[in-house]
Amino acid sequence: MSTIRDILTIARWEVKKSFSVMGRNVLPLAIVLFVLLVLVTGFTTQSGLHLQDGMYDVGVDDPALAGLIAGDPRFSVFQISAVSPEWRGNTFDLIIINGEVFYRGTEKSKSALKTLERNYGKYVNSVYNAEEDLFAAYPLWIDVQPQKSELDFLATQSGQSIAAAPGRQAPVPEGPVVGIPTPSPTLAFTRDELRQELTKTSSANPQISRYTEILTTDNAMGNFKTPSQMSPPLPFDSIILIFVFIFPLYFTSQFFMMSIMNERIERKGEILLSMPVKAGSIILGKMLPYFLGMLAICTGLTFWISAPFIIILPLIPVIFFFLANALIIGMLSRSFKELSFISIFFSTVATSYLFFPSIFANVHVISFISPLTLIVLSLQGTAWTATDYLYSTSLFWLTGAVIFYIAAKNFREERLFSEKNLVARMREFLSEVLSRKRPFLSLFLLTGFSIPFIFMVQMMCLVLFFNLPMPYSLVLLLLFAALVEEIAKGIGIYTIYARDASFFTWKNVVYACAATAIGFLAGEKLLLFVTLAQITESVFGSILFLSLGVLWMPLLLHFAGVLIVTASLKLGGRGWFAPGLALAMVVHCLYNLYFILGWLS
Amino acid sequence: MKARHLSIIARKEFRGLFNERTILLAILLQLFIALFSSFLMVGLTSMYDPSSLSKYSRFRYNVAYAGNDSPVLDYLTTSRDFRVYPMNLSEGVAALKERKLSAVIWVPDTPPDAEEPVKITLFTLQNDLQSAIVDVKLKDIFLKYEADLREVRAGRLHDEPVPLAIPKATGGGDFYEFVYGLLIPLLVFMPAIIASALVIDLLTEEYQHETLETLISTPVTFTEIVWGKVLACELMVPVQACAWILLLMINGIAIENAALILVQVSVTSFVLVLLGTLTALHYRERTAAQFIFSTALVIVMLLGLALPDNPFNLLTRLAIGTAGMEQWVVLGGTCLIILVLGCATHLYAGRIGKSRHSG
Repeated sequence: MSTIRDILTIARWEVKKSFSVMGRNVLPLAIVLFVLLVLVTGFTTQSGLHLQDGMYDVGVDDPALAGLIAGDPRFSVFQISAVSPEWRGNTFDLIIINGEVFYRGTEKSKSALKTLERNYGKYVNSVYNAEEDLFAAYPLWIDVQPQKSELDFLATQSGQSIAAAPGRQAPVPEGPVVGIPTPSPTLAFTRDELRQELTKTSSANPQISRYTEILTTDNAMGNFKTPSQMSPPLPFDSIILIFVFIFPLYFTSQFFMMSIMNERIERKGEILLSMPVKAGSIILGKMLPYFLGMLAICTGLTFWISAPFIIILPLIPVIFFFLANALIIGMLSRSFKELSFISIFFSTVATSYLFFPSIFANVHVISFISPLTLIVLSLQGTAWTATDYLYSTSLFWLTGAVIFYIAAKNFREERLFSEKNLVARMREFLSEVLSRKRPFLSLFLLTGFSIPFIFMVQMMCLVLFFNLPMPYSLVLLLLFAALVEEIAKGIGIYTIYARDASFFTWKNVVYACAATAIGFLAGEKLLLFVTLAQITESVFGSILFLSLGVLWMPLLLHFAGVLIVTASLKLGGRGWFAPGLALAMVVHCLYNLYFILGWLS
Repeated sequence: MKARHLSIIARKEFRGLFNERTILLAILLQLFIALFSSFLMVGLTSMYDPSSLSKYSRFRYNVAYAGNDSPVLDYLTTSRDFRVYPMNLSEGVAALKERKLSAVIWVPDTPPDAEEPVKITLFTLQNDLQSAIVDVKLKDIFLKYEADLREVRAGRLHDEPVPLAIPKATGGGDFYEFVYGLLIPLLVFMPAIIASALVIDLLTEEYQHETLETLISTPVTFTEIVWGKVLACELMVPVQACAWILLLMINGIAIENAALILVQVSVTSFVLVLLGTLTALHYRERTAAQFIFSTALVIVMLLGLALPDNPFNLLTRLAIGTAGMEQWVVLGGTCLIILVLGCATHLYAGRIGKSRHSG
């Protein structure tokens, strides 16, 4: 009970303090800036982004066509009078004579040609949209009926190819054939409904939609479209909304970060620390106003865009994760420069982790590693299950909680006010978590709890490499997965070694390695069983989580890996940590290769 | 103001940056952004235009054709992307669900010159990357058929669009607009944003750590301290931008007018650095200064992008060699802004310095 009272008291102080600092000077200007921001945003949507103006030079003989092409500011149009294309003595990328387009062989010219082609298609559509007989202008409509593949569902989504052509014979289904009713040849929409939709999709601001035009926007007609509207489904509007949510969260967490940092400047936080209150309560109390503020912002935004309120649910772990990181960054960095760079770095990485997977929201199961995908789905009106929620948010909850624990353990005078460099401080922070009395248990727990971080990093790599062609993506993933795991296992050992090198007698080396290996395996198993079943079934998953199979083999591998690192530390000193890691990585890779490619079998 | 004092302050800041190795983080960050945006672009383009990645082009997809005969069947049969099997609709869909086919097409018996449109039903796999690619390939075939049908029904159309014959280019040009129209301005300009955030940190740190008194008690004046810090931040911009340009060139991306690009970036970033300096001098506290400055930065950048011939656009045009006289006008304008901001900074710093000495 008293803990809650402490937390509330500190929360109240925090609010009072930050308002007294910010209120007087900042608030008036902030309001002015906000109004300006709204105005400028309005102006920019009106006039468009002029980033790519005047990229291409085009020579045209026909004034009507010249006017048409000049509608896109990317083209600088020049009137020419020639009978045949002449490239010398000018910088034209395209020459248009008698309604025929000529292009140079350069990349720039080809790019100009592609842009022109796209623009012309849009122009043609705008002419046809106005046509009285709509079905003469658009004589063909496609009704797309997406089918769920029941068989081998996971393989479908994991980037495997559709079965190779079986030869001349038509494929015969093995399962039962369900009768499909003959589709009706008539349209389900009226002419006017269709025309409305066509004009709506083509009238978007070209200066903005240029960046989005390769992506389809949501269509009111659902899966009913003309051939030119057929492109893979990408919820672009919803993705833009994500930024609307994430940026305010990022900003607010910055204030929390600064509040923590300010306690450390000139030992200002000494008063707070001298109070008879637990460190955890101080942290929670300081965090509470920001957490509530972020929640309020999210609720307000949700209300504003009139989205379903269920989208708050996936945002809560994101808020929690942001605050946890803000806390640890505020505690770790030594100077403002360091704070800036680390926080920008963190926010870029976190935003990419959140943002990029959700692009593939409708296409690939990978998208579910980001909670934002759930938001996209909610906005589209697609339902998601509790399992989906667990799957995409568990890493955020877990890593957030671990970071909070480490921060609470270290929220003490000698850590907060020390002037050591970043790496040394990180080591001290970890060292605080590793108990001196029960080092092996601590190692076991530390490695176990590092699993969510490892998964996050590996997921990041997965998303990153997913874009590369197949053999490279596998090889890179193989190397990175092994390296990340070896580093995670080595960190605890390294911390203990740096604290007390004499601890590592050969007997203790074996015990420490065993504790680490078992901890790793236990954590991995536990998390996998709870959440990541979907990814583990795919080709990529088999690399990341190969060790799901037999138990003693992966245990041996993890033991061997960490033993290599520890032994090189013991024999060579700290300088041999990196070479030890590299060697362990190679061993790890060989093991994975053996199982994936079946080298020796 | 003495040049020697300026260089002492600037060198002190450089030493601080290198000692903390934060500069490494900054460079890592930029690399990360570049990597990720390229990965994203390559990934997206290969999804929407599969021919841009050759690995998909040699693949032949199985499709089933059901319903009535039409030119679509001929187009599919002659296409190098597909292997067509005329099948019963129900069996085809069942085979599709077992992933033995990648699409099933059903065509009705609507005559080409009918009053009503032709409505083709297309069965594809849901949530499947490969089916997204199949869709794109089928789109080409449907477009051909649409053109045929339009031809048949041409008599019913009133307006014909201005004809333009666009040849089919052979590969290439996919990433050009992304690289020159987005990546290069972004990468080259990132050091400027970093520098302006940095100058705020450097200035507020002296205030909040109360190290300013020690500095002022030396022969260096407050104005010199401010300009020294501005100098340190500003110097880092062309160095980083130059590194980016070299890196891009090594990667086979030809960049014209590299020197002029550096000039444009340095001058534009100077405006930002001075804005940051003024904000920091006013607030003397990091939270407030960074908050106000980053909001203002977003406004300035948005406004800049909304205007034609803005510095970002000039970077693009300089890199591809289509910048004309307007670049000098913009450069002159930016220099004027610098002059005004520079005077303001100098006077403001001088006033603060005086009140410090007397106080």
